[in-house]
Amino acid sequence: MISVKHLSKVFGDTTVLKDVNAEIQRGEVISIIGPSGTGKSTFLRCLNLLERPTGGEVTIDGINLLDRKTDVYKLRQKMGMVFQSFNLFSHLMVVENIMLGPVNLLGSGRQEAFEDAMRLLATVGLAEKAYAYPDELSGGQKQRVAIARTLAMHPEIVLFDEPTSALDPTMVSEVLSVVRKLADEGMTMMVVTHEMKFARDVSTRVFFMDQGIIYEEGSPKQIFEEPKRERTRGFINKIRTYLFEIRSRTFDFYAMNSGIEEFGRKQMLTPKQINNIQLVTEELLMNQLLTKGGDAVDIDVNVGYAEESGEVALTLTYGGSLFNPLEGDGSDEDLSVLIVKRVARMSKWESDAGRNKLRVIL
Amino acid sequence: MVVTQKREEKHLVLTLEGRLDTTTAPQLEEVLKSSLGGVTHLTLDLAKLVYVSSAGLRVILGAQKQMSKLDGMVVKNVNETVMDVFEVTGFKEILTLE
Repeated sequence: MISVKHLSKVFGDTTVLKDVNAEIQRGEVISIIGPSGTGKSTFLRCLNLLERPTGGEVTIDGINLLDRKTDVYKLRQKMGMVFQSFNLFSHLMVVENIMLGPVNLLGSGRQEAFEDAMRLLATVGLAEKAYAYPDELSGGQKQRVAIARTLAMHPEIVLFDEPTSALDPTMVSEVLSVVRKLADEGMTMMVVTHEMKFARDVSTRVFFMDQGIIYEEGSPKQIFEEPKRERTRGFINKIRTYLFEIRSRTFDFYAMNSGIEEFGRKQMLTPKQINNIQLVTEELLMNQLLTKGGDAVDIDVNVGYAEESGEVALTLTYGGSLFNPLEGDGSDEDLSVLIVKRVARMSKWESDAGRNKLRVIL
Repeated sequence: MVVTQKREEKHLVLTLEGRLDTTTAPQLEEVLKSSLGGVTHLTLDLAKLVYVSSAGLRVILGAQKQMSKLDGMVVKNVNETVMDVFEVTGFKEILTLE
């Protein structure tokens, strides 16, 4: 239905979308998740030309959206959009807000538009508010009216741009249950959302966007339970990280330690947890990697704290020949290895594209 | 790390304050080297020691070995954090703790 190839969007000096590629089939419900500022909303807005893409190709039912000859208005009618802010006309009653598009743009008769509006209001659970004015409604109700208004144009796909972000938490579920109902009815939808449970339960596919691309995509199970890539994992597990790069044997040991301490305090880790991170880091660096690892000094220290699970992990990525400091049967282990093995709950070493990667769970 | 010395005839008490790690262990080693002459009994007071790593343990072990030939070494006032490290490394069994 929609095919996106090498889509890019640049605002001034800022490249928001680098190279987005996607195929969307009829009946799919696609959730777009990812950190703020990674181009999720821009991607959506490029699909109906609210933003003009800088490069690439968007094809809808075989018609090139960016072709100058394309009737954009006609193509846009196939796509409804629901925004974060509801944008209802406050001087019109709810039912009039919904009738406005069909009467003025589709050429529907008033009676037909009215009946359709009432049907849609019933769908979103607001039939009794037909004659109310937007200001008399709660945020959640306004957003449901906005959804009904979008549906009144009989779109083939609905794009939702963070439909619940402007709502009080108590009103999020009433809006999401309407979106969920539309999904059950087979409506094709793309939803930019921060509601992870919703994305997990309702989507047929999830796009994780980061750094201006669709960084990883897959079924909700794949993305939420078995994310393949580091950044996806970090986002899903809400991992906060502290990074320290070591490029010299005389690196600033104090700076690293105080960085770990500050990070740990910020994440509300216990003094014992902070102590253990520092201890394991020191043992591995000072007594293993910097003494036995050999030649070049190229070590990245990454301390990660997963908010959801409470897991603390130390990941050391280092160059040089492949070397696992924790290998061995334990018979002639030195003190530092012993300390790391006893303090760690689990450790795993692997070669990642020629670099050593040692992950220690504390 | 701050090391305070108190000598009573052949008995030396070293009070360690701060962190005994890779960067500070040589400092303790130096103090031991220069102060153990004539000392037969050594006490390490660790009440204010908040952190110890293997580098520190090696120096403590060295002192223990040296003093074991004489009247011995006692380690006292070990806090929980440092005790955890003594435990996982088996130092709890090797040292005389008070």
